[in-house]
Formats: sequence, structure tokens, C-alpha cells
Amino acid sequence: MTSVSSMSDEGTHHPVVLPCGLRCVPRGVDELATEHLVLNMGPQHPSTHGVLHVLVELDGEEVIAAEASLGYLHRGIEKLAESRRYHQVATLLDRADYISGLHTETAFALAVERLAGIEVPAKASHLRTLLMELNRYASHLVWLGTFGLDAGAMAPFLYIMRDREMILDVIEAITGSRMMFNYIRPGGVVADLPAGSEDKIRAWLAHADGWLDENDALLGGNEIFRLRMVGTGVIDRTTALAFGMTGGCLRASGVDYDVRRDVPYCAYPGLDFDVPLGSTGDNWDRYVVRIGEMRQCLRLIRQLLDSVPEGAVSAKMSRAFKPPAGESYAAVESPRGELGIHLVSDGGLTPYRLRLRSPAYFNLAVVDEALAGGLIADAIVTLGSLDIVLGEIDR
Amino acid sequence: MPALQAADALRAAGIPCEPAEETLGAVVRLDAARIADALEALNRAGYDFLVDLFGCDTGAAIEITWHVRAFGRHEDLFLKATVEYYGEAPSVWNIYPAALYPEREAAELLGMSFPGHPNPKRLLTVEGTEPLLRRSVLIRSAEEVRIP
Repeated sequence: MTSVSSMSDEGTHHPVVLPCGLRCVPRGVDELATEHLVLNMGPQHPSTHGVLHVLVELDGEEVIAAEASLGYLHRGIEKLAESRRYHQVATLLDRADYISGLHTETAFALAVERLAGIEVPAKASHLRTLLMELNRYASHLVWLGTFGLDAGAMAPFLYIMRDREMILDVIEAITGSRMMFNYIRPGGVVADLPAGSEDKIRAWLAHADGWLDENDALLGGNEIFRLRMVGTGVIDRTTALAFGMTGGCLRASGVDYDVRRDVPYCAYPGLDFDVPLGSTGDNWDRYVVRIGEMRQCLRLIRQLLDSVPEGAVSAKMSRAFKPPAGESYAAVESPRGELGIHLVSDGGLTPYRLRLRSPAYFNLAVVDEALAGGLIADAIVTLGSLDIVLGEIDR
Repeated sequence: MPALQAADALRAAGIPCEPAEETLGAVVRLDAARIADALEALNRAGYDFLVDLFGCDTGAAIEITWHVRAFGRHEDLFLKATVEYYGEAPSVWNIYPAALYPEREAAELLGMSFPGHPNPKRLLTVEGTEPLLRRSVLIRSAEEVRIP
């Protein structure tokens, strides 16, 4: 409050009362000092989806700059793989992307098979594809639920987790685990579908479409949710390509690329599915593309269930398996994008060098670009729309 | 033959290189000092996407791989260059911003540097962590990982 002073001839201040009785001139706060505020989001913060630390520089509510600080979950998986036999590596890779471990396992198995020239039985490829699609659906459900939470929608999360429980029960019946599957190994898969698992999947499928529509109506059908998504967190096509983005994030920006269709692997060449595309690359497009992918997932799972081939589930693999010296690269379309394994072998019992091309790692690098210029509340939604998994980013 | 075509594009830009078709795919080996020029030439030739960048300790030096892709043609190309221990390779972030993270990671994990990187901080490890070179980090021997 500025007190009213009158300047006397001697230059001294004397408080006065105005003739109207006011003791100060109501001139407003025009000399407020402002400065940019650097805010630490995370590493323990619900909206960072794991142990991610994002530094955001704020001017009021507007984000001026952002930087992701990684490494809180770095376990040196790539280095540890150098001292594991080929059959043991899947155990480590499950812990990289812990939401969709089956994709990482498959990428590694494909890289080893490509290097060693192993023919995988048709049934093994088929089961891999079926399990990967189930896993993709479960992973997208986690994204959908947490994305809703980021935007302030609590109820859909509870419905979505009910749906996910049923898929995890099915995956557990097949692989023996809900999270760290260790099911897909070089040469094939560990075991055939147990009796009754097809019925279990069909029992879930009977509800799945209705539940997806319900969840989509709860989130996408909500005007408030929609208004927060449209036009925020825009990542245009050029930026997405420049930062090496893949998966739903890249397709939301209008780039028509899906590893399953463009560089087919496993049983995908014989399957019929569409690749949903966005156009502007905002949060709404990323939402629509992933919901579309979930519908395609259900379509793929039905096709796969109807055509399970007969035969062995694994090629004959030596327990002391050694691929020839050389290098290979194999990629799969994980729920987050192109997940590649670059394998270097010196002909020994263990990989000489294993590189995991993590899609979320590249998708996250765009945060500086995507968050700057937006509001802090939108930054949280944008971060959620990228669908990151820190286990895979930090490795 | 993407390797030969890429090599032609590089030689036209005055960059010597050795193309090869391997199990990995199209591989082009060149001098690390020329990698920024090479990637600029390849970017103009349609390789508009950096898939990955990583290093491998070969026991004699560090071999860096730049994995690029021509999206329109679905062609992948692996550029490889050898850098001596604690050596350097130019940063290519201004051609492919996707290189920003992997360059920081390769720098800290293999003890090298990428001059020209705008933010050359550590990415995954804390200050003081030794590079994970094969000679300094114990790898279990073949006997230790043998089948019991």
C-alpha cells in the first residue's frame, strides 16, 4: 500500500488524509516485480508417469522452456545383457518396458533369429502376434486411464482398470505372469496356449467393444476433456520426424508409418487391419489415433483367434546357443512406437553389444518443443499424451 | 542396393566411404570427422529420419553407428565410424534433432564427446560415473555363464 505523502518545500514526507477521507491514492499495483519461475515437476509426481523429472521455466502460467531430466530408473540393462546368455536376456528386457514386455521380448527374439538364420514355426509367430496384440491393448488401457487422470477425470480410470484386469488374467493364464512374462524367447515361445485360454479371451472380447465405447464416451465424449485436448500440445509433422518420433505420436502428426504394415514381422503380413491417422498432431489427435488403434487391436485379436495354426511352438534351440559373429537389427511396433533391438555378436555365448532403440526415449525428446508456449496445465496433458514408460527410456 | 547408392551420393559430395551389404543391411563406413557432412548430404538425398545413434566398444576403439532412414522409400542405412577412446565425433543435432539425447548418452557411457552439442550434460548417470567401457566394467566370462 502506498501511503499518501505530500512533498513539502524541505523535501520531507508528511502523511496526509485526502479531503474525501481516503488515506491512500488507489492507483493499483503497477510496480510489481515479475520474474520467471523454474519449477521442478517430479521425479515423484503423479503426472510424470514414473520417475521423470521435468524442469519447466514459467512466466506466470505460461511455459517458456522445458527440459526432461532422465536417469532415475537407469539400471544399465544394455550393459547387463552383455553378461547374460541369449536365453537369459528376455528377463532383463521385460524390465525395460514394463507395461508391454512382450514387444521387447519379440524384438530381441527377431534380432537373434535374423542373425542366426533360425526359422520360427508358424504357430510360434502366431502366438507371439496374439500375445503382443493383447499386450498392446492392455498397455493402451494404462495410457487411457492415466491420460484421463492427467486431465482430471478420475472415474474412467476405475472402469479401464476393470477391463485391463481381465486381459492380464488371460495373459497370466498363457505366460504365467502378469508383468514380467519371459514368454517369447529366441526360436519361438515357451509354451502352447493352455486349455481354456481361447474361451477366456473370447469371454473378454464379448465385453471389450462395449467397454471401449463406454470409456471413449466417458473421456472423448466429454466436452470439457475435448476442449482441453483440441489445439494443445501441437507437434507438427516436420518436428515429429526431426525428433525421431514413432508410433501413435508420429501417426497423430499425419505420418503414415506403422512397422506392422510397412516392415512386417511375425504373423502381421496375413492380417487385415487399418492404421489410424491424425492430421494436426495435437493432444486430441493422439487420443483419437490410440482409441482407433485399440479398435484395430480387437479386430486383430479376433482374426488371430480364428486361425491358430497347428504345429510346434519353438524351433530346436541349443542350451549353449551361439549365433554367428555379426550384427542385426529388428524392430517391432510397440504400443509406443518403433522398438528396435540392434544386436552385435562376436560369436560367443552372450551378446557383445545390445542396443535397445526405445520409442518413448525419442518421443520424450520433443517435450522442449511441445510444451514451450503452452500453459502449465496443458503441459501435464501433453506429457500424458506422449505415453512414456520410464523403464524403457532410462533402461 | 541402398549402400552403393548412398556411397555414390557421398562420393559426389567429396566424402570417401566404403559401402557394404551385411546381415544388418546397408552399411557405409567412413571417417568420423566427415560424419556431419555425410549426414547433411544424405539428408538431402532423402534420408530424413534418424532412427538411432549409439556406440559400441570394440576393444580397440569406439564404433559409432548412425542409423538413418529414408521414410518415403522405406530404406534403412547404417553409417559407421570409429573414434579412438576419449575421442570425439561431431554432433549432428542440427541435421537430426533426434540425436540430442543419444549423443549425450553415448558421451557419458563411452567416455567420448560430441563437439557442437548445445546441451552436453549427462543424461542417464550422475557426475563422477565412470564410462562403461569393456576394460573397466567386469563382464562375466564364458566359463561363468556356462550351463551347469
